[in-house]
Amino acid sequence: MKKNGKDTLYKVFIYIVLLLLAISIAVPVGWVFLASVKENAEFYGNPWTLPKGIYFQNFIDAFQGAKMGEYMLNSVIVTVLALLLLLVIALPAAYVLARYRFKGSKLCNIMFMGGLFINVNYIVVPIFLMFVDGDKFLNRVFGSGFLLNNLFVLALVYASTALPFTIYLLSGFFVSIPKDYEEAAFVDGAGYFKTMFSIMMPMARPSIITVILFNFLSFWNEYIIAMTMLTGESKTLPVGLMQLMQAQQAAANYGRLYAGLVIVMLPTLILYICVQKKLTEGMSLGGLKG
Amino acid sequence: MKRKEVTRWLALGLAAVMSTTILAGCGNTDDSSKGGDDAKGDGGQVLKVAAFEGGYGAELWSEVAKAFEETHEGVTVELQVDKKIEDKITPAMKSGDYPDVIHCATGRDAGLTETITKEKGLTCLDDVLDMTVPGEEVTVREKILPGFLDTLGTMPYNDGKTYYAPMFYSPCGLFYNAGLLKEKGWEVPKTWDEMWELGDKAKAEGISLFTYPHAGYFDAFIYATLESSGGAEFYNECMTYKDGIWESPEATAVFETIGKLAQYVEPTTLGNANEESFTKNQQLILDNKAIFCPNGTWLPGEMADAPRAEGFEWGFTAVPAVSDSQKPSSFTFFEQMWIPAEGKNQDLAKEWIAFMYSDKAADIFAKSNAIQPIVGISEKLTGDNKMFYSVYDNDAAVPVMGGFASTNPVEGVSMNDTLFRAVDSIVSGDKTVADWQKSVEEASDKLREAME
Amino acid sequence: MKHRKGRNGFIAVCVLPAVILFIIFMIVPTINVFKMSLYKWGGFSNNKTFVGLNNFKILFEDPKFYRSFQNSVLLIVMVTIITMVFSLVFAAILSREKIKGQNFFRIIFYIPNILSVVVISAIFSAIYDPSQGLLNSILSIFRGAKADPILWLGNQKLVIYSLVIAMVWQAIGYYMVMYMASMSSVPESLYESANLEGAGRIHQFFNITLPLIWTNIRTTLTFFIISTINLSFLFVKAMTGGKPDGASEVFLSYMYGQAYTNSSYGYGMAIGVIVFLFSFGLAGLVNLATKREPLEF
Repeated sequence: MKKNGKDTLYKVFIYIVLLLLAISIAVPVGWVFLASVKENAEFYGNPWTLPKGIYFQNFIDAFQGAKMGEYMLNSVIVTVLALLLLLVIALPAAYVLARYRFKGSKLCNIMFMGGLFINVNYIVVPIFLMFVDGDKFLNRVFGSGFLLNNLFVLALVYASTALPFTIYLLSGFFVSIPKDYEEAAFVDGAGYFKTMFSIMMPMARPSIITVILFNFLSFWNEYIIAMTMLTGESKTLPVGLMQLMQAQQAAANYGRLYAGLVIVMLPTLILYICVQKKLTEGMSLGGLKG
Repeated sequence: MKRKEVTRWLALGLAAVMSTTILAGCGNTDDSSKGGDDAKGDGGQVLKVAAFEGGYGAELWSEVAKAFEETHEGVTVELQVDKKIEDKITPAMKSGDYPDVIHCATGRDAGLTETITKEKGLTCLDDVLDMTVPGEEVTVREKILPGFLDTLGTMPYNDGKTYYAPMFYSPCGLFYNAGLLKEKGWEVPKTWDEMWELGDKAKAEGISLFTYPHAGYFDAFIYATLESSGGAEFYNECMTYKDGIWESPEATAVFETIGKLAQYVEPTTLGNANEESFTKNQQLILDNKAIFCPNGTWLPGEMADAPRAEGFEWGFTAVPAVSDSQKPSSFTFFEQMWIPAEGKNQDLAKEWIAFMYSDKAADIFAKSNAIQPIVGISEKLTGDNKMFYSVYDNDAAVPVMGGFASTNPVEGVSMNDTLFRAVDSIVSGDKTVADWQKSVEEASDKLREAME
Repeated sequence: MKHRKGRNGFIAVCVLPAVILFIIFMIVPTINVFKMSLYKWGGFSNNKTFVGLNNFKILFEDPKFYRSFQNSVLLIVMVTIITMVFSLVFAAILSREKIKGQNFFRIIFYIPNILSVVVISAIFSAIYDPSQGLLNSILSIFRGAKADPILWLGNQKLVIYSLVIAMVWQAIGYYMVMYMASMSSVPESLYESANLEGAGRIHQFFNITLPLIWTNIRTTLTFFIISTINLSFLFVKAMTGGKPDGASEVFLSYMYGQAYTNSSYGYGMAIGVIVFLFSFGLAGLVNLATKREPLEF
């Protein structure tokens, strides 16, 4: 009886803490949504008041005036391409690096580990300068540049710079799988590729989903590389948002800015909530129980 | 918005893009020479004008180009206007294809104007000043407002020769709510003593004397106080990092004035004094929570949508003089137009610059709120602009122009950090005025060594 | 090994693309950063002057660099400790306890991590507002309405902690999900037998959960170091711009200021080199200090 009372108290305490944290997250995020339907004049008063009405014009302004629709399409293309490239390249590499010893495997592992410490923020300009030189060369040989202002190349850079983290995460998973699985497969006569694709990959599904989720977020929200590599008119969504902030500074158009913020975060929210279910399923279904 | 200030994000992009264009320039001749070759070959002259698209928009340029074509028969103006004009024209310039006239201010992150200046690639404009303004009877020198032609902002080499034509000026000073002062029966202070008196009176009513958007806005303010403490020569010595100048009595007076002003700063100001929230500090003026705020003429436009106290009315005044023997002063931003020495059409380019100071051109610019520094312009202005631009007449204020002389970069040292950003520390009390002064002199020593 | 045939080819096909891309897009640019740190270069012109280690010499006498260094270290330590404690506890609660709406909480807690830093900065600027902000409004209930407002972003001693709060808020969900993933692989039977022995929740947490996910915790420590350096830069840029008077300047914001605003590209790259070496060294140290015998289960 006594233990039960203590238990209830404990439960109540936990719920209060959980709810507090949930509120501290939900309220500010909800506030951005509310702010996005406020009229401009409402932004100068108390920021925590409710909007007087729903001013949808902000979104129309953002989509048309600030070309957010077009930027969104670019963002989708780059993100999807980069994710595909990343999975195709990183999955086999992570699997092999985690489970095979070969000449140079140690070096590769150390190299990718070290890559975790290379901050994209300071190599972006050297990459850019490299592309400039490359384009100069291509220009001379073929008459047109290729590397800059190219969504595919941007996606390739995204995928490449995400390699260390992704390989690190995936090989962490592959290492934990008991050797028996492969041995059983080999005994059955399966080749290396077949073993990898039909035995190991399905088992790695939860990790793959995690990788997709993490990288989706970083690609979608990334803007330093995008801003540097796309020098022309086509931009990705976050770069467009930065531009909107610049414009907002000039004309103090807060409503449009917050509409822009919502446009940037809504897809991530939706995708996250969808994947979240899969993530949970994956965790319980996947071969983690051994 | 602060026109001089491009956020550093943008700066990154610009810097990065800038370096492409320089590098890509070599292999890119096909593209870039197009502009020149498409020109009409029927014997008419073509003037290639490249202009930075600032807060005033792009339309004023096409209109003024049309006006120029109308008054100059057989001339075609080929106009290139862009927010990143540097990116558009440098590739071509690298391959030898220069615009004839470039409108691009100093102090931009891409530093095109500074680069060309350092490479001694400018045409001297002294003979333009002696030309007659097209369609009028005065010379350009007579037409330009006094003061604009003797600063580092027009004579970059400080050798008495003009290389930049001053364009689009905008005075900075102190903004306030004229309605509030009227209602309370307070006078606009003409001296700092009157300022402190007003500060104490206002404090009794729960109003602070002073606020500022963020420390970056102290540039114009400090420039003005320097001038009004030691006069024009002293000001130039400060801007050229003369040894010991920041420890002179005149400079000490400026530091101490700001040190005292810091005690009158509205208490929440520092909390919002950053690029993200500075409009909240500007709002303090509209809400009658603070009286004065240093800013430029763009402020009323920037705050156009903001709610305001009843009876609010913009007021604008020069910064009171620090020294009794000097006049109040107001720093003026202006942009630069110049002729690259490599441009082909030098004579026509000079004609174009002279045309910029004609009433016709000035009227076109004024429609977009871009105000040319010409005699009589303040009479033509309307609304708030009239008050802003008459500051030099009404308050008998001295216009202050041109900032610090350009130097080679010095690692880890900049006046922006040491002189302007440090104001935050003075206001919060984290730094003493004496320490501030000492660090400025030290920075000045290092920058002097790096001067060209 | 029986499967010799095709093994090398298989390995090459799998590993080479990753290695090649990695070298092109990460190793080569990094080498360039190291190289440029030995030059004096404004960033635009073609005048690059080799100055040897001079940039580093200036760096070690630059008080502003030391301040940004100090701020970065403070942020790394504070954010790591606070985030880790919170996310471990929440992860343990959500994966061990029978909580109604468990999924709901998990979804909500992760949300800050998917938001762009720009959004978070806008949110926290509103929270920290001196007169109308949420934080001061709540505090004025206790401090009285007349008390001087606290300047969360304007006080030089507070501003770093204000950044810590925003960064912890952003990071908790991310690490929580990571810890939950590894906690879910701890066999239930261990807890069952602990229950039978009458061990309490706290005892179980320290004696079963923590040791068994230790490898995962070590991994996240490395992530903490890397991501705090990176994110603190984004937060500083969007929220304070290094203000007031450089009190919130961190490694990378100082590097950017020098490389682009102060036209000292080579000097900026020298800072980049130091940051790289520092984060590498720190992670190595932490890795050594946390080394334990891996527990099998």
